[in-house]
Amino acid sequence: MNHQRRDDVRTQNSQNSQKRILSAVSAVSALIVVAVVGLFAPVDAQTSKTRAHVQALASDRLEGRLAGSNGERLAGDYIVSQLQQIGAKPLPGQRDFRLPFEFTAGTKDGGSRISVQLKPDTTDARTSPPSVASGFSRTFESDVRALSFSDNGDVDGTVVFAGYGIVVPDSQDFGYDSYATLDVKDKIVVVLRYFPEDADQKTRSMLARYADLRYKAMAARQRGAKAMLVVTGPRSPNAGELVPMTFDTALAGSGLVAVSISGNVGGAIFRGADKTLEEAQKALDSANPHVAGFTIAGVNVHVHAAVEREKKTGHNIVAYLPATEPIGTTPKPWVAVGAHYDHLGHGEAGNTLAGKDDAGKIHYGADDNASGSAAVLAVASTLAGQPRKRNVLVALWSGEELGLIGSNAFADKKPVPLDQLAAYLNFDMVGRMQDNKLSVQATGTSPAWGRILEQANIAAGFDLQLQADPYQPTDVATFNGASVPSLSFFTGTHADYHKPSDTADKIDYEDLDRVVDFAAAIVRRIEDTADAPQFTKVDQQMQSGGGRAGVRIFTGTIPDYATDAKGLLLSGVIGGGPAEQAGLQKGDVIVEIAGQTIANIYDYTYALEVLKIGQPAKVIYMRDGKRRETTLTPAARK
Amino acid sequence: MKGFRAALVAALLAVPLAAMQTASTYQERDFLTRVRRLTIEGRRAGEGYWSPDGKRLVFQSEREPGNPFYQIYVLDLGTGDTKRISPGIGKTTCAFFRPNSDEIEFASTHADPKSKQLQEDELAFRASGKERRYAWDYDPEMDIYAYSEKTGAMKRLTTARGYDAEGSYSPDGQWIVFTSMRDAYNRPLDDKEKKKLAEDPSYFAEIYIMRADGSGQARLTTVAGYDGGPFFTQNGKRIVWRRFDESGLIADVWTMNPDGSDQKQITDFGSMSWAPYMHPSGEYFLFASNKLGFENFEIFMVDAQGAKEPVRVTYSDGFDGLPVPSPDGKQLAWTSSRSGGSAGQLFLAQWNHEKALDALKNAPPRKPSKKS
Repeated sequence: MNHQRRDDVRTQNSQNSQKRILSAVSAVSALIVVAVVGLFAPVDAQTSKTRAHVQALASDRLEGRLAGSNGERLAGDYIVSQLQQIGAKPLPGQRDFRLPFEFTAGTKDGGSRISVQLKPDTTDARTSPPSVASGFSRTFESDVRALSFSDNGDVDGTVVFAGYGIVVPDSQDFGYDSYATLDVKDKIVVVLRYFPEDADQKTRSMLARYADLRYKAMAARQRGAKAMLVVTGPRSPNAGELVPMTFDTALAGSGLVAVSISGNVGGAIFRGADKTLEEAQKALDSANPHVAGFTIAGVNVHVHAAVEREKKTGHNIVAYLPATEPIGTTPKPWVAVGAHYDHLGHGEAGNTLAGKDDAGKIHYGADDNASGSAAVLAVASTLAGQPRKRNVLVALWSGEELGLIGSNAFADKKPVPLDQLAAYLNFDMVGRMQDNKLSVQATGTSPAWGRILEQANIAAGFDLQLQADPYQPTDVATFNGASVPSLSFFTGTHADYHKPSDTADKIDYEDLDRVVDFAAAIVRRIEDTADAPQFTKVDQQMQSGGGRAGVRIFTGTIPDYATDAKGLLLSGVIGGGPAEQAGLQKGDVIVEIAGQTIANIYDYTYALEVLKIGQPAKVIYMRDGKRRETTLTPAARK
Repeated sequence: MKGFRAALVAALLAVPLAAMQTASTYQERDFLTRVRRLTIEGRRAGEGYWSPDGKRLVFQSEREPGNPFYQIYVLDLGTGDTKRISPGIGKTTCAFFRPNSDEIEFASTHADPKSKQLQEDELAFRASGKERRYAWDYDPEMDIYAYSEKTGAMKRLTTARGYDAEGSYSPDGQWIVFTSMRDAYNRPLDDKEKKKLAEDPSYFAEIYIMRADGSGQARLTTVAGYDGGPFFTQNGKRIVWRRFDESGLIADVWTMNPDGSDQKQITDFGSMSWAPYMHPSGEYFLFASNKLGFENFEIFMVDAQGAKEPVRVTYSDGFDGLPVPSPDGKQLAWTSSRSGGSAGQLFLAQWNHEKALDALKNAPPRKPSKKS
C-alpha cells in the first residue's frame, strides 16, 4: 500500500503518524484475536494456496523488492515461473511477461561549481588581506551542492541577499515578505536556510511553514531571480553546512537553478557587502519584518548546477488466461486481477516507518504486498483449471510504493484497451485478517457489486466491511480513474505496516486462502455474466484535512507524482470535485493558478495556500500542447 | 473533609467495578464466531427465518427495482442464489417456511389497488432527499398469504380489515400464530380509542391463531397494548411473544399455551424487550432489548422459565435484533446495523450453545424491574 497520494503532499506526515497510532491500536486487538483464530483448524503448509508464494516473495534474498532493484528482478523471476506453471500467457502482442517502465529513483549532484569574483573596483577593507583587496576570484567545488529540485545549467550575475527568502502569503494576514523592497529580476539571490532564529514561538511557527526550500525557490523564481543560493547561517544549527541531497519523488525541477553553498562561499560572497553574513543574519533573527535584504554590489557569481536524476526501470508482470470458448460478441471480454509486488527494499525511498533500531533493515513486506501477490497467483491458478467466457488478465505491479507508478504506466500504454475490462480486482494487504473482517473497497464503482458480493460471500462467510470510495492509496485508484468497475480487498493495517517486522510468519494463511476463494468466485461470476458490470463514477468523499493549518481547500485534482513534466500533470480528477467541474481532466498540465506559476507539485501545494474556498481562481493549463484557461472554484475539505 | 472525599470516591468506584465484573465475564465472541454479513444488495434487509432443513433462509429486503418496500426472498446458503417469492408489488413482511410442506407464509399488501401509487409516493419522497425516522406503518391492507414453491400460487389466508402479519407456523406445520389489528376495525371505538388508532394503531395489536389453511381464526390475547411477534416454541407446546405496555415503550417476553391460557411473563427487564425466539434445545429464548440505551438494541438470552436475569449476547454499536437460531442450534441469523448506517442487514454467525448454557447457569436470579 502506498500512502503518498492526493493533492496535498504536505499532509503526508500527519497521515503517517495517524496510521502509526492506528497500528498501535490494532496491535493490541491482534493479541485478542489469537484466541479466535485458534478455534479453526490450522492449515497444513502443504495445502495452503498462498504460503509458499508469500514465503518466497518475503524472503531475505528478495531484499524487500524495491522497484528497479535486484530484489524486484528476483521477485519477478519467481512470479514469471509461477505464471508459466499456471499456464498463463504473455499478453496478446507481447513476447514477455515483463512490461518495463522507466522512473526516477533518486538524485545526486553531478559536479556543481560556483565562482565568486570580487569586482576590481571594490575595496574590501574589513576582512580581506591587503594583497587581494583590489580583486578576488575563487572557484569552489566541494563547497557547493545542487538542491535536488534544481534545474541544470549555468548562471552568471550579480547577487542580492534576500534574508531568509520567506514570503508569507497575503491570505495569512501576517505581513512578512523577504522580497518586499528588493528587485531580484535576473539576479542571483542568496538566502539563509531555515527561518529567523530568535523569533517568538508564534512567529516561528508561521514562518516555518514557508521556510521549505521548495517554497523559497518558488518565491525567488516568481520574482524573476535567475538562481538561488542557500547558505546555512552562522547563527543556525548546522552552521555553514551544505543541504543534503534528498531523494525527491516529485521529479520535476523548480524552474530555477538552486544550490546550497558552504559558509566559506557565503563568506566569500559577503566580502562584496558592507557587513558580514553573521551581522546580516543577526539583524534578521528577531523576525522584524522591516529588516530588508540588500544588493551585494561588490561580487559577481557564476554558478554551474548539475543534478543527476537516476533513472531506473521497473517491471510490471502481466499475463493472461485466454477464454476457453470463443469470445464472440461478449462485451468487455476481459476481467483483471492485480496486486503490487514491490515494497520498500531497505527503506531507502523514505516511506518507511521503521524505528531507529530497524532503520536500513530489509522491509520484507509480507503483508504489503506479498500477500496480495500470492492471492493473485492463487486466484489465477484456480481460474486456470476452469472454463472461462472472458480472458483473465493477471497483473503484478511494481512501483506502487513510489506512487502507483507501475499501474499508471500500464494504464498509459494500454497493452490491453482498458475499456475492454469488465472489472478489475485489486489485492493490497490481505494477509492479516482480524475477527473475520474483510474490507472491500471501491464498491461504489458499479451497481452490480452488491449482488455479486452478496452471492459470493454466502459461501465465503466474511464479515465484509464495504467501502464505496475508490480513491484508495493503492492501484485500484488507477483503474477507477480509467472508468473500470473495480474492487480492492484489504484486511486492515497493523503495527508492522511499512516496517521490517512485516514478515511472513505473521501472515494468516488460512484466511488468505479464503480471500482467494472468494475473489475467484467473484471473477467467475463476472466471467459468466453476459452484461459487463456498469461503471459508476463515485464522488469523492472529502477527507478531513490534516497537515498544514489553513489548508482546508479541496480542488479535486489527482497529481501525477512521477513525471518530469513542467507544471502539474494530472493523473486524474476526483469525480464531482472542483477540478472536474472546471473541465480539467487526466493528462492536463496545470502551469498557473491564481496568477502563480506552477513548475511542479510543490509549487502547486503552495499555490493552494492563496486560494480561498468558494472564490473562483483562474487556472492556465496545457492540453494537447495548447495553452488553455478555465476557472476553478475550490471547495472546502470536509 | 479529606476522609469524606475518599469515601465518596470509593463509593463512586464501587458501581462501575461491579458493572465491569459482570460485563467482562462474557464477550460477543464467546457466543458468536465467524460473524458475517449475509445481505448486501439493496437498502435494508432483515427478519431471516430458517427452512426446516437449515439450508435456506427466507427474509425481507428492500431491493426490488422500482419498489421501495420490503419484498420476500429465499436465499440458498449452498449456492448463494437469491429468489424473490413475493409478488414484487406493495409491501410485504414476516415470512416463514411451513414445515412438512412446500409453502411459505408472508404478509403482503399487493391486493390493495393503491399499492403502486404508494410505491411511487415513497420513491418521490426519498428522491426529494428528505429523511424520516424508520417506522413500520402497520398498513391495514396487510394480509397473510401462503405461497407454494411448487406451483408459485398464492393463497390468501386472512381477509379482515386491519394489519394481519407477523405469522409463523407450528412445528407440525398445522397452525399459524399471528398478529392482527382487526380489533380496531371490527367494533365501534370510543373517542379515546379513535385517538389511539390515529396515533399508534399497534395499541390494538393482539395475538391470533388459525389453521394453516386460514380457517378457525381465534384471538388469544386481550390486554391493551401491542401484543405481537408470536412464535411457537420448539416442541409446539407454548407460544412466545412480546407484550408492550400501554405506553408502547416497555415490552417484555411472555409465553402462553396455544389456546391462550396460562400467560406467563418471562422477562421483567424494564426496557423494550421483543422478538423472542426459542433455541431448538428448548433451554432458552433469544430476544432483543434496548436495555443499554434507547437506540442501542442488543441481543440477549433468558432461560425458558425466566428464572434468571437475561444475559447479553451482542456487543456492537447500532441495532442487533430479530435473532433466529438455525434448526440444529449451531448458527444464529439476525438483523444488525453493525456495518454502518441506520439500515439493518442480515447477519449470520456460529452459535456457541454450550457457552450460552454456561452463561445462563451463571446468571443471577431475576430481579423485578423498578417499574413493576
